[in-house]
Amino acid sequence: MEKHAYTCPYCSETFDALENLKSHMLQAHKTDPIPRPEGVIRLTVNGEEHSIRVEPEWTLYYVVHDILGLTGVKLFCDRGACGACTVILNGRSVLSCMTLAIECDGMTVETAEGIANKNHPLVENYVKHHCMQCGYCTPGFVVTSKALLDKNPNPSAEEVQQALAGNLCRCGTYPQHTKAVLETAQQLAEQGKEAKK
Amino acid sequence: MKKFAHLNARTLEEAVSFLGSYGGKAEIIAGGTDLLGKMKDEILPNYPEALINIKTITDLDYIEETGQGLRIGALTRLNDIAEHSGIREKYTALAQAAERTASPHIREMGTLSGNICQDIRCWYYRNPNNRFPCLRKGGGRCYAIEGDNRYHSIFGGTVEKGCYAVHPSDMAPALIALNASVKTSKRTIKSDEFFKTAVRKTTVLDRDEIVTEFEFPAPAKGSKSHFIKFAIRKSIDFPIVNCATSIINEAGKVKEARICLNGVYIKPYRAAKAEEDICGKTIDEETADAAAQTIVSEARPMKDNAYMVQIARTLVKRTILACKE
Ligand SMILES: Cc1cc2nc3c(=O)[nH]c(=O)nc-3n(C[C@H](O)[C@H](O)[C@H](O)COP(=O)(O)OP(=O)(O)OC[C@H]3O[C@@H](n4cnc5c(N)ncnc54)[C@H](O)[C@@H]3O)c2cc1C
Ligand code: SF4
Ligand code: FES
Ligand code: FES
Repeated sequence: MEKHAYTCPYCSETFDALENLKSHMLQAHKTDPIPRPEGVIRLTVNGEEHSIRVEPEWTLYYVVHDILGLTGVKLFCDRGACGACTVILNGRSVLSCMTLAIECDGMTVETAEGIANKNHPLVENYVKHHCMQCGYCTPGFVVTSKALLDKNPNPSAEEVQQALAGNLCRCGTYPQHTKAVLETAQQLAEQGKEAKK
Repeated sequence: MKKFAHLNARTLEEAVSFLGSYGGKAEIIAGGTDLLGKMKDEILPNYPEALINIKTITDLDYIEETGQGLRIGALTRLNDIAEHSGIREKYTALAQAAERTASPHIREMGTLSGNICQDIRCWYYRNPNNRFPCLRKGGGRCYAIEGDNRYHSIFGGTVEKGCYAVHPSDMAPALIALNASVKTSKRTIKSDEFFKTAVRKTTVLDRDEIVTEFEFPAPAKGSKSHFIKFAIRKSIDFPIVNCATSIINEAGKVKEARICLNGVYIKPYRAAKAEEDICGKTIDEETADAAAQTIVSEARPMKDNAYMVQIARTLVKRTILACKE
């Protein structure tokens, strides 16, 4: 059977696979034969890849919470002032209510769900230390703490307080968070030692 | 938020041409932490038709120390400035200001260019749905003069318009104290001359001009700098008053001083008299206090904000003391 040929519309060179034609056109003619439709972003959320069509005014919060249904990300203020909507975006803890989804193409997002699914000890320690009353602010705290521990596995109590300074809790659970994060850091360090043995 | 068009600029030239083609109806978006708040609340009579994203321009995020000094790309995040060991050591006031700006999350998102181009926070101006169409929006009156002005200017308003909204940036006074220059797509501007008060404007930038880089001269021998911020809550809150001071010491005496307050006037406020006063003297309690006292004689507080004068005076004094050799 004859191979299906893909012909370049610019220079008539033929290719046996679409992928090869695409890379040829990108390289030789600086153009993408099948561009992604406008407004479609690729987003890796908790390890899962998504391709989502977004409107310019949609925030990352809206996409993660309403479109993908990950309701761990919360909205208190919607103005960048409380930390309830925190997600980890390419390694930085950011406010999803003040981030335009359309600007997140190709990025990686981690939410409280992803942290829980990985059985991260933060979650157990949050329960153990009673870090929540109503619980609405809790996922934001967990995500911010996870980003801190990723960057600084051995924080001091003051460093934990500093890192969580942008997370507000109406129920006043503040002192408990430091305990949970410090215990988690200790456990992770011990796990690390075990693994090295 | 209401609808708008969104354009990713691939190069600086492209961003400038987008701005030009929208003729003043498009806005640059950097971290978005200031701009999106304004758009969500619809505080302005003119909603932007388009946002031009400059984060897709690849070479605007860097910190470079050279023999001549320090260069920081416009899109460098405040957190990266706060954590940079070279900046902490040699450009101390800049790192301290970055460390005290807003909250940890906003420092991860907010850029240096966005910080100095941010809009005023006067609570009449920021009231949702353009509730107060004041002078600064092209309207007919200032609501703060008769209203609650506890967070307004203690050094008077603009001559022609009468706006009393303070400049809210924590980074601006550090830039001015360290004598930085702001590079744009058109020119280089001294940080001293960068801020300007007019309808819908906080800077001298043209509508199609983009900040690209900040340049700091290397600190002279014997120099020290320090930044202090006073805010209601230590985290998140905007400054009530902040102050950055940079002093060159020589043989136990002050050779040169640059002192800049913010949160107290319609733009960052150089405490010129205090600078003059401390020059040639040895820094101690008495001389620092005398220099800071000049703030009190210059101040013209409004009905609710006289308390800010004492804070400003104290911060000037403490930053001078911190720059002692
Ligand atoms: C809850 C909260 C608390 C805050 N607290 C503080 C505080 O304590 N101290 C403080 O100083 N700030 C504070 N801010 C403001 C925040 O620091 C600044 O908003 C931030 O640094 C702005 O950076 P950005 O990149 O997000 O700016 P954006 O929102 O992206 O931009 C702000 C403005 O600058 C313009 N702009 C941005 N980059 C350029 C450029 N390269 N050339 C030309 N124009 C440009 C934009 O068009 C826009 O008008 C706070 C904000 C919030 C929401
Ligand atoms: S102080 Fe300025 S911004 Fe505030 S109400 Fe008066 S004119 Fe408007
Ligand atoms: S909901 Fe985003 S910061 Fe409050
Ligand atoms: S537990 Fe209720 S807001 Fe924090």
